[in-house]
Amino acid sequence: MNELIENAPCGFITLSSEGEILMINKTLLNWLDYPSSEHFMGNHFNMLLSPSSQIFCQLYLVPLIKVKHTVEEMFLTLHTVMKEEIPILLNASFHDNHQLTCVIFPIRNRSALEDALINARKMTEDAYLEKELALLELERKQQDLLQANLINTKIMRETERDLQIAKKIQETALTKDITNDNIEILSYYRASKSLSGDIFGFYQVTPQKYAIILLDVMGHGISSALITMSLQSMFQKLISREAAPESVLQELDQYLHDLFQNNQDAWHYCTAIYLNIDISTQTIEYINGGHPPAILQEDNGAQHELGATNPPLGTFENILFKSRTLNYERGTRILLYTDGVSEAFELNTLNYLLNESISSPLAQTKEIIQSALENKETIYSKYNNDDQCFILVEL
Amino acid sequence: MIQNTFKRNNVHIRGNGKKPLIFAAGFGCDQTVWNDVFPAFEEDYQVILFDYVGFGNSDITAFDLIKYGELSGYVQDLLDICETLDLKEAVFVGHSVSSMIGLLASLSKPEYFSQLIMIAPSPSYINDPPEYYGGFEMKDLLSLMDLMEKNYIGWANAFSITLLNNTANADVAKDLEDRFCSTDPLFANTFAKACFFTDNRKDITKATLPSLILQCSEDVIAPRVVGEYLHANMPNSTIAYMNAIGHCPHMSDPEETIFLIKNYLLEHSMPLIGEGVGNLNE
Repeated sequence: MNELIENAPCGFITLSSEGEILMINKTLLNWLDYPSSEHFMGNHFNMLLSPSSQIFCQLYLVPLIKVKHTVEEMFLTLHTVMKEEIPILLNASFHDNHQLTCVIFPIRNRSALEDALINARKMTEDAYLEKELALLELERKQQDLLQANLINTKIMRETERDLQIAKKIQETALTKDITNDNIEILSYYRASKSLSGDIFGFYQVTPQKYAIILLDVMGHGISSALITMSLQSMFQKLISREAAPESVLQELDQYLHDLFQNNQDAWHYCTAIYLNIDISTQTIEYINGGHPPAILQEDNGAQHELGATNPPLGTFENILFKSRTLNYERGTRILLYTDGVSEAFELNTLNYLLNESISSPLAQTKEIIQSALENKETIYSKYNNDDQCFILVEL
Repeated sequence: MIQNTFKRNNVHIRGNGKKPLIFAAGFGCDQTVWNDVFPAFEEDYQVILFDYVGFGNSDITAFDLIKYGELSGYVQDLLDICETLDLKEAVFVGHSVSSMIGLLASLSKPEYFSQLIMIAPSPSYINDPPEYYGGFEMKDLLSLMDLMEKNYIGWANAFSITLLNNTANADVAKDLEDRFCSTDPLFANTFAKACFFTDNRKDITKATLPSLILQCSEDVIAPRVVGEYLHANMPNSTIAYMNAIGHCPHMSDPEETIFLIKNYLLEHSMPLIGEGVGNLNE
């Protein structure tokens, strides 16, 4: 071999088209630690290559040489006699004599730097992929949320519809106003939400006797409304049996205790006022269980309060309910209301409104109180969150 | 679908024959590898050539990391091509990993294919002692991945990120003069992982179609024991030992390759009933 090539500062090797080693220069032999070229003669180029480089040459070097007749800057790893790896770059060209001429440069330092760069790139790409995946996940989660929101809205719509139906049912349970020669009873009823914790009933029990009851279950909404409905069916039964006021309230109180004795979480109490009016004897028998005092106004305008005679229902067990009795003259008016009404006004407003409209028909008095309430609501919206109910009686 | 599949896989149809014959390149290169082989079949067959997505002139914007991270993605593309061309009983010629891609496609839709020709096939590259020798240890294949990353042959872009970020930017593909072979980290690495780390030893036992294994001499990628294992475990298979040395006989010795394929097809062919062959006396 040409002296120049033998000792050139690069590896030089020629191969047959089958990949057999034909010639190899001294420089390359020294790098690979082989004493002489005899080891290689007739052997395949694979002998110099690491296993991964052997595969790589079959996958890329062979097709590229076949089609392009030349390769440049192919990165491979050679194996020394001791199987140490040398990273190299290879340039090769194919000639008409069907020989492949290859030039080889070791690139140890450059290769180490490249490894670091590739690692950095991989980390960047992995981070990017992770970000992409996270974004996809985020989008998926957003879709889930939108879906959940849709379902929620649907459920809310259904619930709202159910509540509206429940409200109608609740309202149908209320008794109708009574107007005759002996007595006039008018009512106003408004739920804070769809359902109310207030409930009332007035009944002509016998030709001479009328019963009026007004209850306010603590809280409002579905749970309170359910309790009012069960109390309503109870007092209706009791009152129609002409039960005495004491026993009516006694039973309702007991019922509340029984209902929640094993379930403190569901515990509700309730305030109630119950009047028995006898038009033949012109007496009123009443019990007030923790309810705001009813206002009784005589024909001459003098006002009295029918204050609490007992604590609310469902608070203390085994309370003895005791009624009070008073006589009235014709023309007496009574206003019963829940705290949702009294708390909407300043002190004594109800007394004042009642007094102001003493000479007006009862229906007009109701109008006055009602419009005062509805005007108040716009001013003090904080009072808009309780149920409101009042009953006007003229004897 | 037709437009898309043709564009996506750069499908070319040549020849004057009726019976379809599909050539599928092995890992890393495009349909150019068949240039010295396919003309010999143009007279008798309808020759179909194509590229896998990410190689040659395929539509790299169709690349999908998840889909092509598994051999099934490449199998699906082959099935799409068969469906688009409405192929029946095609001869499938696959080099290297394409042999397995063809086999998996034939298991899924046998009606598309009549015979499988496998050039330098291997059902699994990793040694699984004592019962199986594939030729490589896991570490060899992992360092092959590293080696590919340090060769910049036919890269679509210096940074896969840019591509991933914007596969819709088809200009990237136009910038490249030549993607005959590619070590592009995005396409080649994804394909390499699907190829070299997949074990198809269970699938070959389900083969039904007649197949020819062309076993090269001194092939480091698919050594003789691997070809023999295939022949022993793949029903209906025939093995032919080639003089051609290395892993790419279709390139290093196209004549021998053509001869063996033609020979096999002659021995195993069903006579074709030509169209318009009527009774002469009518």
